[in-house]
Amino acid sequence: MLLIQQIVNGVMLGGIYVGVAVAFTLTIGVLNFLNFTIPTLFMLTGMVGWSLSFYGLPFGLSGPVPWALALGLGILAAIAGSLLVERFTYRYFKAKHGDATEHAIPLVSSLGFLLIFEYLVLIAHGSDPRGFATPFADLDWRVAGLVISIPQLVSLGVSLAIVAALSVMLRRSRLGRALRATAEKPDTAVLMGVDVGRLVPVVFILTGLLCGLAGALFAVNYGEVNPYMGETVGTKAIAGMVIGGLGSVWGAIAGGLIVGLTETLSIHFFDANATRITVWGLLLALLLIRPQGLFGHNAIGKGKF
Amino acid sequence: MSGYMSGLLVILAINVIFAYGIFVTAAAGQLNLGGAGFQAIGAYCCAMIAERAGLPIWATITLATLAGGAVGFLIAFPILRTRGVYMVLATFAFAEMVAGIILNSETLGGAMGLPISGYIELDTVLPVAVAVVLAVFYLMSTRIGLAMRAVHDDEAVANLMGVHARAVQIGCFALGGALAGLSGALYALYYGFVEAQVFNALLSIFVLLYVLIGGTQTAWGPLVGATFFTLVPEILRIGEDWRYFIFGVLIVVMMILRPEGMITRDMLDRIWARLAPSRRPAQDPKGV
Amino acid sequence: MSDPVLSLTAVSKSFGGVEVLREVTFDVAPGSRHALIGPNGAGKTTLFNVISGVFPIDAGTIRFQGQDMARIPSRRRIGLGMARSFQNIRLMPHLSVIENVMLGQHSQASLAGLFAPIGLMPRSSARARARDTLAAFGLETFPGQTVSSLPYGVRKKIEVVRALMAGPKLLMLDEPAAGLNTAETAALRDFLLEVARTGVTLLVVEHDMPFVNSLCEQVTVMNFGAVIYDGPAAGVREDAAVLEAYLGRRGGGHAA
Repeated sequence: MLLIQQIVNGVMLGGIYVGVAVAFTLTIGVLNFLNFTIPTLFMLTGMVGWSLSFYGLPFGLSGPVPWALALGLGILAAIAGSLLVERFTYRYFKAKHGDATEHAIPLVSSLGFLLIFEYLVLIAHGSDPRGFATPFADLDWRVAGLVISIPQLVSLGVSLAIVAALSVMLRRSRLGRALRATAEKPDTAVLMGVDVGRLVPVVFILTGLLCGLAGALFAVNYGEVNPYMGETVGTKAIAGMVIGGLGSVWGAIAGGLIVGLTETLSIHFFDANATRITVWGLLLALLLIRPQGLFGHNAIGKGKF
Repeated sequence: MSGYMSGLLVILAINVIFAYGIFVTAAAGQLNLGGAGFQAIGAYCCAMIAERAGLPIWATITLATLAGGAVGFLIAFPILRTRGVYMVLATFAFAEMVAGIILNSETLGGAMGLPISGYIELDTVLPVAVAVVLAVFYLMSTRIGLAMRAVHDDEAVANLMGVHARAVQIGCFALGGALAGLSGALYALYYGFVEAQVFNALLSIFVLLYVLIGGTQTAWGPLVGATFFTLVPEILRIGEDWRYFIFGVLIVVMMILRPEGMITRDMLDRIWARLAPSRRPAQDPKGV
Repeated sequence: MSDPVLSLTAVSKSFGGVEVLREVTFDVAPGSRHALIGPNGAGKTTLFNVISGVFPIDAGTIRFQGQDMARIPSRRRIGLGMARSFQNIRLMPHLSVIENVMLGQHSQASLAGLFAPIGLMPRSSARARARDTLAAFGLETFPGQTVSSLPYGVRKKIEVVRALMAGPKLLMLDEPAAGLNTAETAALRDFLLEVARTGVTLLVVEHDMPFVNSLCEQVTVMNFGAVIYDGPAAGVREDAAVLEAYLGRRGGGHAA
């Protein structure tokens, strides 16, 4: 029974990774850009949300903001942060260097933004974890001897719904078709009349939105946020994305859930430190056996860097 | 020399060696985001050898370096099956696994770390660093260095020119692992203590940034990059958090202004031309 | 006639079900100047790629100086005496001109040569040889420059020089005259004739027919991956199949 409980927990944990993993996969799939700021956008939502619900708006413009509104504004902060990254990394790179060998440039820039966002938050609020009080942190649903946290179940549902909506959007809408065309053959997409320049900010807005939502769900679920929350979730989400296959939305979902499961199961069978070996060992093994991941395209991410 | 100055020079020397470990693979076109893993291997090997075998210090350092090289050689075979972003992620996964294995091993001290019997000072670290710098400069001036740069630019054509591209790449991983391992061994012996938490993802990121921001085109790049990013935070003398914030800003600005790194080949050519007008390579018709 | 330097027998190659080369068979005689022509998409560049070992072949045999190339990796073929240039210039963008040219010597370097600090030896014999060959092409003013800054025609010639540095027995050039003006084309032809006189066999893919006629005495024509003519250059104009391939049915005399 404990094992089944762990599997349930694993799926719930995976639900958090899914949003971040999909954000990673979207930027890699469409722009061939491994965006390392994604974990900090996730963290930014949590920390901005906490700050607003604890202190209120900056410069004393308001008193503490209700938690839901605070998290909503936190998501906006993540989107704003993502657009800032677009302005100073991807757009510069695109304008100046079409050359495939310079692919490392936006990657390096995004590492710079990772430091900027993370240490800004540390400067503002220190490194202590902050409690985030929401009314239903302790709601549990007991069924057949299993404990299922309702907020976690709702989050998993919300995550999957968002990703399903995204997937439908990619398949059906004009924007989605343009995104997919760019992902497959950027040069042809340009010839077909896709305005790639206008598409890029859309990808970054979606990235911010997905990370923000995941960050908000994390805050509601765990009732606690901290400046380092992005690092653990981010690295696990990267693992999930690679396992699912770069550029594949459904792969990111499957990968996120697999990583969540692997993590809770290795805690169950070994201990917390073992998760590093199992999760990354799984990733390394998969990269060697099936480098394109479970659902990925072979072509994506094969560029020089 | 004050203790502060010599301490700073030791950190600088270790960072420079570490940066060259990442540079040799980057110069041949592969990004290694697992530097911390290789450094950890050198540090822990050093700790184990120093504790068990009771060898002289230099033998301990040599063995730890060889261990790093051996791991680099072996891991190259699976890692070179991947490309681009996948390679970045595979090397990252490798470093995470190394940290995971250390944390789970009782012999290696787990999360508690290991004390090390044996001790070195600046007078050991500095000559080693100078030797490494000279050796890498020499390497980059040979046909092997030329072959590495050719593989960086165009692997397929390098092969057609007779370069064994795969051997070059494997050799670079082995040499890179050895240099990173050497830096780890020096770190372990200087501080007298190793713990897994030091060799984290952020360290791998930083050392890769030293190299990419310094520039991968010439052997000057990692030297300048590591020196700049070791000394500037010290000179700024401000709170730890602000240092990293400024570091982040510098990275973003640098990628906008000099995306190929601080030191590029063109820049060096212009400097040489100004220093020695008689030896201008570009305008010199028949050579000297 | 002595044994062919390069001999292709029923060489076939498909990419994803599309047959790019269909039982290509022809010989290149030692010391000859051999042209490979045909319409775009005929498979000429693919043929170069399989000869130099970029792709394995699906069927047939490629023999170079009598030796079967099936198990010889691409990196060892240049050392055996087979050097080539590329249709879309493939010089190393971050290497200077002289470094690109010296890369061409890689296959000839001894173990000690690999470890010699050529970058620190401005007077080394390898560098002198590279510089002399550049000078022979009128490229002596460029050695220190990065190749990406140079004009197209210059880069095209540097590729030929790089291939020559390996001391090849068979020099394969993929459209060497493309992008050159009339004077440059004439100079290139004279230079290649000079190279051929030293005993190097030439295999040249080219669209410029006057250039081909003035350089080569032997021509192989390909169309849709197959050889449709193989013989002396003089016979090409009269060949019905060639005329049909180039001019459509009307030229072949079957026309409506």
